[in-house]
Amino acid sequence: MNPAISSLLFYIFALAALVSAIGVVSLRNPVSSALSLALCFGFVAAIFFNMGATFLGITQIIVYAGAILVLFLFIIMMLDVKNEEHATGNLGYAVVGVIVAGMLAGMISSASLQLPGATDGRCPWHAFTDAFCEQLSVDSCSKGNPVPQGDIQAPAPYGGSLPALNPEEQGSDAKLLGENLFSYYNLTFVILGFALLAGCVGAVSIGRRLRRD
Amino acid sequence: MENLLKWCTDVLSNPTWFYLLTTIAKLVVVFAVILAFVVLSVWIERRVAGWIQDRPGPNRAGLPLFLLQRFGSKEEQPLKNLLRFLGCPPDGVIARLCRWLRFDREIPTFGLVQPCLDGGKLFLKQEITPSYVRKFYFILAPMLVLGPPLVSAAVIPFASWVQTPFGEINMCIANLNIGPLWIFAVSGLSVYGLTLAGWSSNSKYPFLGGLRATAQLISYEVAMGLSVIPLLMVFGTLNLQEIVHSQAESGWTLLPLWGQGLSLQRWLLCIPMFISFIMFATCIFAEANRTPFDMAECETDLVGGYHTEYSSMKFASFFMGEYAAMVIGSALVVTLFLGGWSIGFGADAALASCSEWLAVACQFVTFLIKLLAFIFFFVWVRWTLPRFRWDQVMKLCWLVFVELAVLNIVLTAVIIYFIH
Repeated sequence: MNPAISSLLFYIFALAALVSAIGVVSLRNPVSSALSLALCFGFVAAIFFNMGATFLGITQIIVYAGAILVLFLFIIMMLDVKNEEHATGNLGYAVVGVIVAGMLAGMISSASLQLPGATDGRCPWHAFTDAFCEQLSVDSCSKGNPVPQGDIQAPAPYGGSLPALNPEEQGSDAKLLGENLFSYYNLTFVILGFALLAGCVGAVSIGRRLRRD
Repeated sequence: MENLLKWCTDVLSNPTWFYLLTTIAKLVVVFAVILAFVVLSVWIERRVAGWIQDRPGPNRAGLPLFLLQRFGSKEEQPLKNLLRFLGCPPDGVIARLCRWLRFDREIPTFGLVQPCLDGGKLFLKQEITPSYVRKFYFILAPMLVLGPPLVSAAVIPFASWVQTPFGEINMCIANLNIGPLWIFAVSGLSVYGLTLAGWSSNSKYPFLGGLRATAQLISYEVAMGLSVIPLLMVFGTLNLQEIVHSQAESGWTLLPLWGQGLSLQRWLLCIPMFISFIMFATCIFAEANRTPFDMAECETDLVGGYHTEYSSMKFASFFMGEYAAMVIGSALVVTLFLGGWSIGFGADAALASCSEWLAVACQFVTFLIKLLAFIFFFVWVRWTLPRFRWDQVMKLCWLVFVELAVLNIVLTAVIIYFIH
């Protein structure tokens, strides 16, 4: 895709995702919150599509928007949760929240700084402005590094060539993911699988004990 | 005139405009076909129901000829004049046959007008929004039910491709590499519509219907996803156009009679494929909320289920959503298991070598015929099987289908690995 359009779409979807994420925490009705979370998942999936990671995007919709969130909604409706009471301020919660959010932000930023183009001026915004300058052929724009198309490689753990920038490899998105998941990340994958299984068994055992009472 | 032609050529030579125009044309065709099929499947449902229950069904909604007089025609009896014009005696065999077929009173349509009249009736009914509903979600829910099936039609290929001087036209609106997943994802979103309809109605029975819909649809989505994996293992791709193309070359999934389909491996693979087909079709029934599985709206214990409080066009959009889901589900089954647009026996390649446009037209018609046949099967099942009990439906999914699907995946892997 044209880098300019791609970047523009990225900013639109990212903004929409942020707005709906704010809606999740600010809306008073729990059902509205849940639906705005569904919207947020949809926009994140759109960002994935925009990057050429179609399989990841569709998985995002199937798993999160289509299944997990519906279960949330199910529970909210079953328990008939009323509108949230006036929020109670608690310093302890705030401190813990800030720490957890900070750790998450640190993880995400450190991971994204390792991506190609993160530090040498090839981030989406630069790609957008460069392409924009080329289109208008305005020389007064200070051009950063122009985007060399077709040969940008992510580091091996991130899956080799980037489908968004190498259009001829776009078909292999699911394959790429599968190969990485079952070779490089195989151990992690198995451990996570066992963790999920343990969670399932635990939930079933708790549910059975409650029923016997 | 020449300028106009030159302008057309110029527009079509631009790849962006070519893509845009062909996509819009495909969109219009597919959308029209789906809406026509929604109407047609309502008619098929009623006629087949009548046939199965040994009663006529809606066969009389024709166009009565007294309308002609009403609109000023002086002709008393068009049939009599027509017979005289053709030179038939007024009380001969042909005339009696025509009278027996009621040609003297109406233009026969075999009841095809009935769904249109139903639509008109629903359109003219009073729209009641009860005062106790949660209004925003009450209005949003029917849209969420009707929208997803129409969107998910985008990835279904309805013919092969055509090479034009300006570029290739792929007869599939969006030739995504994640075809079946796209349909699962988008049609999975219609569960929001059912749940919200039940919840926003703010009364007991719709609420129970909504809860049942949520549980059932999520459960069967799991089984549906697992049941289709053996098929994807055989074809090795998630692109529906490629899946259909390889079926056209080497035998339909359930009918490998030509090309490479005659090998021992393909014939052995028919066993897991058939298990997969049964499970997948059943899950499609459950996802479309059709009668053996219509727990969410079963009128014997829930009044009308999640749409109890709806009336007029809002109810009609639930109704249309159900039938649209049925049409799309049938199209998906046909695409995955019954060869999609392929005519079979190598006829596709032969026709394509003759004329690509002819091949595409024949394939489109073939696809529609297969679709109609599967819709007939859908209706047949509905009027043959009684409704299951709620716990039976859930047990069928979690205790039978999920296990069977996993075993089926293992079986397919064994066959693919060991037998060549």
